Amino acid sequence: MRWLRNAMVGLTALAFVAIVVLAVQLRSELQKLQEEPVDSLHWNVTQLELDVVRLEAAATLALAVPGADLADLRKRFDLFYSRAETVVKGTMFLRLGLSNTVAPLKARMRTFLDETAALIDGEDRALRAALPQIVADVGALRTDLRATAIQVIDINAGLQDARRASLSDVIQKIAGASVALITLLLGLLGLVVALNLQADRRAYEVQRITSRLAATVGTSLDAVVVAGMDGCVIDFNAAAETIFGYTRAEAIGQPLGTLIIPPRHRAAHDAGMERMKATGVRHVVDAGRIKITAIRKSGEEFPVELSIASNDGPEGMIFIAYLRDISDARKAEAALVAARDEAQAAERTKTSFIAVMSHEMRTPLNGVIGALDVLGRTPLEPKQERFLTLARSSAKQLLRHVNDVLDISRVDAGPVGLLADRFDMPALLTTLVDTLRPAAAQKNNHVEVRILGEFPPLQGDPFRIGQIVQNFLSNAIKFTDGGQITVEAEVQRTTGLEVEVEVRVIDTGIGIAEADQSRIFEDFVMVDPTFGRSVGGTGLGLAISRRLARAMSGEVGVESAAGEGSCFWLRLPLQSAADPAQVAVPDTAQGKPLAAQALDVLVVEDNETNRIVLEEMLHHLGHRVTLAVDGGDGVEKARARRYDVILMDLSMPLMDGWTAATVIRQGGASQHSRILAVTAHVRPDRMDRFEESGMDGWLTKPLSIRSLTEALNAVPHGTPAEHRAGGTQDGSDALLDADRLNDLRRIADKDGLQRLLQKFHANMENILATIDADAETASAEELAAVLHTGVGASAVVGASRLSRELARLEAACRAGDTKALQAARKGLGSTWLETWAALRAAFWDTPT
Amino acid sequence: MMQTIRTFRATWLGACLAGALLVSGPALAETLPAPQAEVILTVSGAIGTTNADGVLALDADLMASLPQHSFTTATIWTEGTATYSGVLLRDLLAAAGATGATVKLTALNDYQISMPAADALADGPLLAFLADGQPMSTRDKGPVWLIYPFDDVAAFRTEQTYARSIWQLNRIEITD
Repeated sequence: MRWLRNAMVGLTALAFVAIVVLAVQLRSELQKLQEEPVDSLHWNVTQLELDVVRLEAAATLALAVPGADLADLRKRFDLFYSRAETVVKGTMFLRLGLSNTVAPLKARMRTFLDETAALIDGEDRALRAALPQIVADVGALRTDLRATAIQVIDINAGLQDARRASLSDVIQKIAGASVALITLLLGLLGLVVALNLQADRRAYEVQRITSRLAATVGTSLDAVVVAGMDGCVIDFNAAAETIFGYTRAEAIGQPLGTLIIPPRHRAAHDAGMERMKATGVRHVVDAGRIKITAIRKSGEEFPVELSIASNDGPEGMIFIAYLRDISDARKAEAALVAARDEAQAAERTKTSFIAVMSHEMRTPLNGVIGALDVLGRTPLEPKQERFLTLARSSAKQLLRHVNDVLDISRVDAGPVGLLADRFDMPALLTTLVDTLRPAAAQKNNHVEVRILGEFPPLQGDPFRIGQIVQNFLSNAIKFTDGGQITVEAEVQRTTGLEVEVEVRVIDTGIGIAEADQSRIFEDFVMVDPTFGRSVGGTGLGLAISRRLARAMSGEVGVESAAGEGSCFWLRLPLQSAADPAQVAVPDTAQGKPLAAQALDVLVVEDNETNRIVLEEMLHHLGHRVTLAVDGGDGVEKARARRYDVILMDLSMPLMDGWTAATVIRQGGASQHSRILAVTAHVRPDRMDRFEESGMDGWLTKPLSIRSLTEALNAVPHGTPAEHRAGGTQDGSDALLDADRLNDLRRIADKDGLQRLLQKFHANMENILATIDADAETASAEELAAVLHTGVGASAVVGASRLSRELARLEAACRAGDTKALQAARKGLGSTWLETWAALRAAFWDTPT
Repeated sequence: MMQTIRTFRATWLGACLAGALLVSGPALAETLPAPQAEVILTVSGAIGTTNADGVLALDADLMASLPQHSFTTATIWTEGTATYSGVLLRDLLAAAGATGATVKLTALNDYQISMPAADALADGPLLAFLADGQPMSTRDKGPVWLIYPFDDVAAFRTEQTYARSIWQLNRIEITD
């Protein structure tokens, strides 16, 4: 378009110049033409010829009439002369380019005129005498003149033709140039029209875009504020008016800082603007979305989401800020967070509730199981025996479920306490399979253990691993009838001490549809609830397995085809144990009676009630018991002969348990025996003395048969959670500890219990009497010691509330507050009476 | 073309001037005496001033008594330039008290032209009776030559003007 325009302009200029040049040329041609005496040439030539003819006639007449007047001849000569002079001297022929043609004639006429003029001007006589000659000369001249005239006119005609042609040529050129010029001008006009249209279109487009932009900005829900380099507002849209409270007119021209930025941020804003002006470095501009605080006209501050873009405006850089009032979003967010926290709290409460409930269920359940065990030892009729078996298996299943739920909540509650024990994987698997072999045999399943390759001794938590494998195995047995179950184990990779182990439990059972495979590891999932109910289970086994595996940085999974069987696998990273000698094979099956080996046990306990209960429990478990009444007695007996296990009370007068243990370790027959601390303190292993004293583990009072059983069964460290099975430390305010009472009923007959209670009664009466007698005089420490004996004794017989109250008073005394003791004395007395009545009711009224 | 327009315009201008002069003409012409020498130009027709037999007969002296005018020019009929002196046709018409619109001029050899009185302008034509101060003979296109200042005014270098440049003029007749 541009080159076309330029070309057209150039051509137009060229045509114009051509026309000017041609016009000048034409003008000069016309001038010449105008000045040329073309027409008078003919006239003159004709006139010359006429004059010569007249002269000839006059001369002939004069010759014919002798004596005639010569005046006419003279006049004719003068006229001819004059005419001839015109031809001879005039520039007419020269100008017409005919001078050469007429040159001979001119010469001839000159001669004639000069010769004849002398005669004409002379005497009449001489003139008359010359007349014949003059007539002859004029005649000859006439002939010449005629010939020349014809020639001149002929040549002139040609010249005029050429001139006309030339003129015509110039005119044609001008016409051509004019046509070209007009065409070009028309073209230019067209171009101008086109450009005009284009400009109109562009103007329209610009207007359209501008109005659209204005509409866009105007209808934006976000505030749009445009500011210049000086920080003053250039534009302020409707949303900005609504959000900030200023009208557009108020806002425009105002500094942005004072308008929408809270006073405390203004200095930073100004500094930022200055810095950007000085260095061009932008922190906020073109930096995407940021959240800041803005201020309304009313002075209310509110949070905004802000995005600033920069652009080159007509008067330098401009900044376009898009602001969104996010007060509501903030509120919604806060509400959401609150709702989430609430939900989480509710979830925690629920979890905690489930845990507490399960726990609370387990305690009476243990009582049921204990009672059934005791019942089983009495002679029963076959029918009763059958019901008893049914009740036992139901109770055990229920216990398993409760334990499952407890496991889940425990793992969810926080980091799982994992052991790092040495163990032998093949042995662990063999033991597990052996315990489940009877169950498998019931369903005609054959179970086999296949250890693929060599297994190094490993370090890890055999209890948890066992729990997972046992779960796989139980499932395999449940879902397989008359099939083959294979437990495979192999080391998949060894990297230094790192060993990756895979254990697979493969069955030929019903299998799992592919669609179900991914969800069976989720909580409470049973693929076929109907079937699940028929075989029992909470649907938590695999969920627990997965949690435990992950806690150990491992993974569980399944490969299965419906109808063909399943393969559950456990993949774990473990450490290989350096020393293979001390590998333990722990017991895993919960609630399962342990293969109890009779042990020699030394009980060091100063409290008589505790001693009696412990003795009864140990006898019940089939162990041989020796009693020592204090630390010194214990050391003496321990040195005298070797005991398998020494149960050491920690708080004893004269020599406490810590010291006694240290001394035993120094020498004597029981130097290397296992010494377990028995304490009311929680986690004595946290104490510094625990390491120094050489204790192997601890048990928490009050002792349950179960915790005692596990402790004595070569479990090197305590399993603290289980030790809390007494339930009295959960903060409940029960008068009596039912679990404990069950244990007591389990371990002793009616006579033994009565003896125990009588001892306890005497003990308590003695304590209360001592308090009454010595409250004023005795030292706080002495009173605390007295109270301490009461704490242990009442806990042992299950008088939980009494035990707690005594413990509180003991703590007060140790803190030197004997007044609290006196103040609590009355309450203590009533609690004791209440407790004693309840104990009597519990034991004497029991038809044991 | 432009030349024509200019000529046309000049023509109209001349006509107005001539009209103005014609009004005051007769008073001047009435004082002309009869010719004493050979008459070189006779003016007849619609004239207000006569000095002999109903015509205005002018000899060289009478011609010289009228306002004189001169210019030097070359012509296509002569060799070189000459200074021509005489009376402007306009002045003569004024002196004669001419009232007609057409001027008919006739030469010794009966060559005759007609022109509008309005074409008698201030710068030409000139009724020259002297060339380089000398009276003109018949052989030198005398006694009177109606001549234009061809060199000074390009507008006069036209065919029509050439045709009007009548020489050997001796009679003028004014008609309506």
